Amino acid sequence: MGIKPTCKEVHRLVSEQMDRDLNIVEKARMRVHLMICDACTNFSGQMKLIRRAMHHFPLDKDGK
Amino acid sequence: MTNPTLFQQLEAMRPALLRFALLQLRNPELAEDAVQDALVAILEKPDQFAGNSSLRTYVIGILKFKIIDSLRVAGRTVQIETEPDQSEDDVIDHLFTANGHTVDPPQAWGNPDAVLQQQDFFRVMEICLEKLPAQNARVFMMREWLDLETEEICKELQLSSSNLWVILYRARLRLRECLDINWFANH
Repeated sequence: MGIKPTCKEVHRLVSEQMDRDLNIVEKARMRVHLMICDACTNFSGQMKLIRRAMHHFPLDKDGK
Repeated sequence: MTNPTLFQQLEAMRPALLRFALLQLRNPELAEDAVQDALVAILEKPDQFAGNSSLRTYVIGILKFKIIDSLRVAGRTVQIETEPDQSEDDVIDHLFTANGHTVDPPQAWGNPDAVLQQQDFFRVMEICLEKLPAQNARVFMMREWLDLETEEICKELQLSSSNLWVILYRARLRLRECLDINWFANH
């Protein structure tokens, strides 16, 4: 683990926070990185969208 | 006495219910049984549906219970493959450079509320779910569709927590990539 978190680490943390409580160090590393990284911020929003979308399934009729 | 209107409504939902039962269970007979059990349960006790939620929400709720039952029974006989193979590691590794940067930085997808209004989005997402490897899809849907707690999934599938987190991460990466290519690149 380097001093500055990488996108690789933060992507994983973004996913894992959906399945477990991150510890205080992990949370801090993720938050600081998200403030300066558009790619990981977009990724984080996309993970939330996927979770929300899963709750809409299945739709009423085929493709409707 | 069955209510013909209720019966017709349920029959209209059947294809969609079956597709999702199949996505989750990955076994046509088990999927058919789960849907049948759910519909019969509702038709036998139509009064249980109080109308507080939509019929669709109610039916999906019952179906999810039946699917969880089915997974529990199947779990005792079918051991899920938990050893990640080489191609699994590549799913994560090929997204990042050696120093941990993204190779292809995720671009914005636009307003999430607007995306969730689009029927086509869900059609593409369903295709992307179908394309997930079976084990990946089963675990991902247990978590995100059946809403099971991670402890419960670990217990059912005899997975370690860290193993489960990696499986879910891979599934999310695959889905994200599939949606990015097949939906967002075109909108």
